[in-house]
Amino acid sequence: MSTSTTDRVRIAPGPARQRGPRSGRTNRNPRAQGTARWVLSSPLILFLAVLVAYPIVNGVTSSLQNHTLLNPTPGWAGLSNYWEVLTDGSFWYSLVFTLGYTIVVTAFELVLGFALALFFDKAFPGKKVLLSALILPIMIAPALMGIMFRLMLSANIGVVPAALDAIGIHASLLSASSVIPMLVVLDIVQWTSFTFLIFHAALQSVPAELHEAAQLDRASKPRYVFSILLPLMMPTIFIAGFLRAIDGFRTFDVINVLTAGGPGIETTTLSIYVYKILAGGNFGLASAAAVLIALIMLPIIPFVIRRITKGATS
Amino acid sequence: MRKAKLARRLGVAVAAVTAVALTLTGCNATGGGGTSADGVTDLKMIMQPGPEADAMSKVTAAYNKGPGVKDKIHVDVTQLSRADSFAKEATLMSTKSSNYDFYQTASYYIAQHAQYLEPLKLDASEYYTSSLDSLKVDGKQYGLPLDPSVHVIFYRTDLIKQMLQDKTTFEKISKEVLGKALEPKDPSTWDWDDYIASAAYFTQQYNPASPTKYGTELQAKNLVYNAMVWDDVLYNLGGSWLNSSGKPDLTSSQAEQAVNVYRTIYTKGMTSPDSDQAEFPETQAALSSGNAAFAVQWDAGYAQLNSASQSPKTAGKIGITRVPGAKHLSHVHTLAVGINKYGKHLPQARTFVAYLDSVPAMKTYVAAGGLASMPAALADQSSPDISALQGILKDGTYAEPNLPRAFDIYTALANDLSGAWVGQGSTTSALQKANADLAKLSGK
Repeated sequence: MSTSTTDRVRIAPGPARQRGPRSGRTNRNPRAQGTARWVLSSPLILFLAVLVAYPIVNGVTSSLQNHTLLNPTPGWAGLSNYWEVLTDGSFWYSLVFTLGYTIVVTAFELVLGFALALFFDKAFPGKKVLLSALILPIMIAPALMGIMFRLMLSANIGVVPAALDAIGIHASLLSASSVIPMLVVLDIVQWTSFTFLIFHAALQSVPAELHEAAQLDRASKPRYVFSILLPLMMPTIFIAGFLRAIDGFRTFDVINVLTAGGPGIETTTLSIYVYKILAGGNFGLASAAAVLIALIMLPIIPFVIRRITKGATS
Repeated sequence: MRKAKLARRLGVAVAAVTAVALTLTGCNATGGGGTSADGVTDLKMIMQPGPEADAMSKVTAAYNKGPGVKDKIHVDVTQLSRADSFAKEATLMSTKSSNYDFYQTASYYIAQHAQYLEPLKLDASEYYTSSLDSLKVDGKQYGLPLDPSVHVIFYRTDLIKQMLQDKTTFEKISKEVLGKALEPKDPSTWDWDDYIASAAYFTQQYNPASPTKYGTELQAKNLVYNAMVWDDVLYNLGGSWLNSSGKPDLTSSQAEQAVNVYRTIYTKGMTSPDSDQAEFPETQAALSSGNAAFAVQWDAGYAQLNSASQSPKTAGKIGITRVPGAKHLSHVHTLAVGINKYGKHLPQARTFVAYLDSVPAMKTYVAAGGLASMPAALADQSSPDISALQGILKDGTYAEPNLPRAFDIYTALANDLSGAWVGQGSTTSALQKANADLAKLSGK
């Protein structure tokens, strides 16, 4: 009764792909073909040049200049902007805070998203309505979400503190001692539905026979989830985790609206750190900080690409 | 035949590339206003959304219908986001953009903006001197002053009246909180100890009979504008950013005292615990909801607090007085409008500024909800907030040093001190960090 999943996905061998010239197309001019290839690729090349290469070159150039609002004709500053960022304790604090925040919210959102997907992987009354309500938060712009949270959590006029007060819980949700956990909760509230959607879609493609087979083998529900479903969904979990981690790492809107990175620099993410430098008109310094953040992220990229391509291949 | 086909395909590909390139080029704004076929020049002004932009829109509408017809000039106000307008302006300025003919600026930004603005010739006799001077760089005027902003105390007149008659409770609470018995006083005579004692009196934790949960609302969020509010405490305690020899002075005893005023109010629970994230709107909410009895606030908040429809609990019961201290001095800054020197229609822009530089234009601005820096434009206004503003602008302001990187300094103060305001870390180390940042950013 043990049906191997690899058997299911094995693709029947087809006719070998012809490598040689196809009939009737033998007399192409190789030079013209080369030119056509370049010309046809040029929209993509132009796109990459304008939207990727130019900003990178411009950003790196700016990071090496003393370009500020006070200094509209900048000169070269060498590596001094990099040195200033690297010797700024706030940068390192922001990095640690951002990484910690990213890890915590991503972990919670993966676990909760998966649990919700399992819950919704069966029929029950009101499922469609509940499903729609669940995915609502990701449809709202993060900046707007921040403003909504700011109103809802206000100690003076907020509906959440008022509701808690009514049941005898006197909590200050944005006080200095509770603001970080609150920000984590808010991120989870907004983005769990994203991981849920990915897992929900992935679960739809898991063959029903697997569950039936597990039931016949008297595998318990947890055993089925942990020994069959989880390994099967690992590539999906990786992708969902990667997407959420990237988003978590560049978190800006909600935190900036709610705390502007404070109290002090307690909730300053790297994006807020760069934004504040930029808002002060220090373009060179902001560019150096942005380049450093990109460099910090760079070593992760090959690992992620390898993992994704491996997932795709398998 | 095949060659022709290939050539045709290549032609299509080249056309596609050209189309993409043209589309991408078209993404760039064409810049500034323009001159239409009938010879009317369109000018564009950038402003933050809010009462100032709404008021300016009415002024430009009046101009476009009136003098603008003769001048062949039409002015439009573009409103960006409230929080990020200046950041957007910074990027436009840095690229020497001609997209807009006028920029909104402010006294705390003027040193940075000056190199992108045209010097102006204004009728100096019509303006408050403090407002005009706050928009000068190297003796040249770069901004036409619009709304001056100062701080005041908004207080509940009904509650303060009650407090003034309850001497025994007040003395007991002030002894508990400050270690000394104080008498209740009228807010116009307060120093910061009186402010703290009164805040404790109206906090239910200390006075269960208090009609408000908290005495006051601190604006302690990490925000440049909150650093300006804190400066009131510093300057009214006799402190300053720089000492008499021009060196950073944020490690002074007055600065320590000023941080401790905030720290005491926050850590002893006289303000909402959430006030570590409070700014203008939260303070308005605390007052209008009846949760706080008084607060230091920007003068612009009066109309809302006194409106029966928006604030039924406080309408008709809001008093205004100057901030606590020996001299009751307030920070002042001025919003302004300047001409983009990279704009393509400088003569027309100067013509419009000449129109704004007049009492009738500023009266229109005030009637539309703005505030002017011209005494004559405010003369007909009799509301308590405008009367208070006029008095403060006359003799109740101090000025932080006019440093080129003033905005960066406010940002650093908010970053360095907002944690200490709410009891995080030590006051001394926060002030040392602020002093070091001030030294670096001021070059002193």
